[in-house]
Amino acid sequence: MSDLNFNYALLLPEIILAATGGIVLLSDAFRRELKLGRNMLPWITVAGAVLATLASVAQAGIVEDFAGIVLVDAFTTFFRVLFGLTLAVVVIGSHEYVAKQIRGQGEFYTMLLFATVGASFMAMSTELITAYVGIELLSFSLYVAVSLAKSDPRSGEAGLKYVLLGGLASAILLYGLSLVYGAAGSTDYATIAKNLSEGRDGMHAPLLMGLTMVIAGLGFKASAVPFHMWTPDAYEGAPLPVTAVLSATSKAAAFAVLLRLFGGPFLPAIADWQGTIAFLAVLTMVVGNLIAIQQHNIKRLLAYSSIGQVGFMLMAIVTISDASTSAVLMHLGGYLITNLAVFMGVIAFYNQTGSEEIADMKGLAETNPFLALVIAAGLFSLAGMPLLAGFTTKFILFQAAAYGGYLWLVGVAVVASTVSLYYYLMVIKQIYVIQTDGSLLDPQAHDVVVPRWRLTWTGYLTTATLLVAMVVVGLWVAPLAHAADSAAKALFG
Amino acid sequence: MGGAVVLNRLPLPAQLDRTVTTGGLLAGAIVTPPLIALIVLRVLGNISSAQMVWWMLAGVIVAGALGAVTLRNVVHSALALIAAAMGLAGMFLLLASEFLALVQVLVYGGGVAILLMFGLMLTNATEDPVVIDGSQKPFAAGVGLILGVALTAAMLSANWDASISTVVDFRDLGARLYRDFGVPFEVASLVLLVALVGAVAISRRDNDDDNDAEAAS
Amino acid sequence: MPSSAQDLALTLPHYLVVSGMIFGIGIAVALSKRNAIAVLMGIELMLNAVNLAFLAFSRFGSSFGIASEGNPAAPLAGHVFVVFILTVAAAEAAVALAMAVLVYRRRETVDLDRINLMRW
Repeated sequence: MSDLNFNYALLLPEIILAATGGIVLLSDAFRRELKLGRNMLPWITVAGAVLATLASVAQAGIVEDFAGIVLVDAFTTFFRVLFGLTLAVVVIGSHEYVAKQIRGQGEFYTMLLFATVGASFMAMSTELITAYVGIELLSFSLYVAVSLAKSDPRSGEAGLKYVLLGGLASAILLYGLSLVYGAAGSTDYATIAKNLSEGRDGMHAPLLMGLTMVIAGLGFKASAVPFHMWTPDAYEGAPLPVTAVLSATSKAAAFAVLLRLFGGPFLPAIADWQGTIAFLAVLTMVVGNLIAIQQHNIKRLLAYSSIGQVGFMLMAIVTISDASTSAVLMHLGGYLITNLAVFMGVIAFYNQTGSEEIADMKGLAETNPFLALVIAAGLFSLAGMPLLAGFTTKFILFQAAAYGGYLWLVGVAVVASTVSLYYYLMVIKQIYVIQTDGSLLDPQAHDVVVPRWRLTWTGYLTTATLLVAMVVVGLWVAPLAHAADSAAKALFG
Repeated sequence: MGGAVVLNRLPLPAQLDRTVTTGGLLAGAIVTPPLIALIVLRVLGNISSAQMVWWMLAGVIVAGALGAVTLRNVVHSALALIAAAMGLAGMFLLLASEFLALVQVLVYGGGVAILLMFGLMLTNATEDPVVIDGSQKPFAAGVGLILGVALTAAMLSANWDASISTVVDFRDLGARLYRDFGVPFEVASLVLLVALVGAVAISRRDNDDDNDAEAAS
Repeated sequence: MPSSAQDLALTLPHYLVVSGMIFGIGIAVALSKRNAIAVLMGIELMLNAVNLAFLAFSRFGSSFGIASEGNPAAPLAGHVFVVFILTVAAAEAAVALAMAVLVYRRRETVDLDRINLMRW
């Protein structure tokens, strides 16, 4: 067994993130002894996230496995960079929100850091046990982070529902994994692939049950319909930055595991799961986008919209190949940028107004034209408008699914995407068409000139960066496409 | 009630009141016939000793699990759950993994049992222990039944051909767990840290944090 | 009439049947109860079923390749998986109970049907 590679330098980004978590936790606990203000905590977190991202970029060319349980390759690097940047952006954009709305700031930032560690392990593991432990680290950190809102009774309820449903989903996933272990005889991805491709007589029924249960468990983590029940409640009850992480890191990590599993070990058994996932994809696209129409809370709207996006991305799992993997990775990148732009805008809006109702966004174009532009551009990008990131990546994703032979699935997706335009436009109508009466900012200020308000500099920094990124990816997709291509090639050899 | 009169006259310790004794006798009356049947089968040579133990443990486990579903008093159903977990520890012994049997007893008999009892005590279960099943009960029963039957059927239909058994060496397990799986082990320790810090941060009262901030400023 | 030794041995299906049954019962508990802590008990039952399945596969897997020559350590993987599941199960109980206590303090109930500040 001495032939295993224990080169701990490969795990440097995760070590940095976990160590930063420890530093944040301790410097919060001993802040009086250390004469540190609490306002230091977000910057320590950001420094850790940026360092980890740099460390993972530095490992970009490496293809090396650690003890046969994790693999550092282009796929891993793609997700590590995605997670690291997401964490940095979320923390920079929301530190004012956190200072006001979160109890236990030190614990909060630690949870976000540990969640990113868990997500990284999900993306890089090539072995079921490591993947499972990564999933649980991500989930546990988010269970806790969801219920840390100060004086918002919805937060605790959301946390309780999330932890109970999450535990249920984990148990189902685990039973599926145990059946896969029994039928394929290993927890190592490569060995599972080899054993499944040899084919085993009389193992079909348990394997089918196992795969279905794995899909159900991971479908829950990615919030695919009908395993999405927790999503709207957790999104609404969670503090806004946690909602952003739930919709970005948590989803991307679930897809990283799905891609690693269904593009590798489960590929020989494709006939057993392709139909199930296609069914889930259709259901997710249709239900997510239809229920989104009747939402009036912006967080719930974004929850259902993200469910719809998951449906689009599941199409790429159905038609899994290196082209569709590359397409879904690009769409994940574009979706993350767009979604974070919207969330950073909503956080800035909430910091000023204390409201998360769509109706309260009326007249935002007058009171803060820049923020209105960011949110509107983000929503248009989610809907798939040309010139923005969402259009390009969604087009490539649909194209890949069509080439994969699932034209009818793409048809459903196009219709669902059109429906989604409707509810995004409803928000944009509130922002741009309806006049504000000023009642939200100042209850006495009827019929007077509504004062304009400004973002903080961190608010400007994050929203402007994301806006630029959205437009750049929309117009010049080559760098992202190149990264996604090499990641997909790493997965399919 | 002749039985009750006999009970009153018996020189029983004071803390063994009538309910407890009746319950014990009832449980004994239910458990004894299958136990005798098993022993008879064993003596006749129809089943092996291992199978006799397996039947006993399976009885405890399934009865405990069913108790967790059907008992109305939530404290009782927690105890039934612990009974099932202890039966499972016995089954781990049958599977020749003494270490995990021990861990199962420690974690479930110790940790989880106490956590559940604390949770029930800190919420209103001591005043109002009767739990009503939710409106989705028929649905839940249906899902449980379908899934249980489907799983059992899938397991039985498969051609496992698994008569050869492996015994895992305890030393190998240690080496595998702490060396090869050292990194997931560290990640699991982060999970525990998250649970610890999270439980403290969640159950701390809101105003603690505010006082703290004022004191610091 | 005494049977042959082969018939008297405990085999994989013995354990898998128990495991499948308690998994079904566990999911029924988790879905039917209204008390948050009772739901947690159902989840613990399901995790126990998973542990039993992993150990059974690990012990009897040798004849279908778990301990094949290319992969001598695979029976251990089942055991290692069980260790991690036990760890996570205990941590899960702690986090869920902390949240139940938090909700109880604010709402005076842990009845999931009455925890309804949010609607679909």
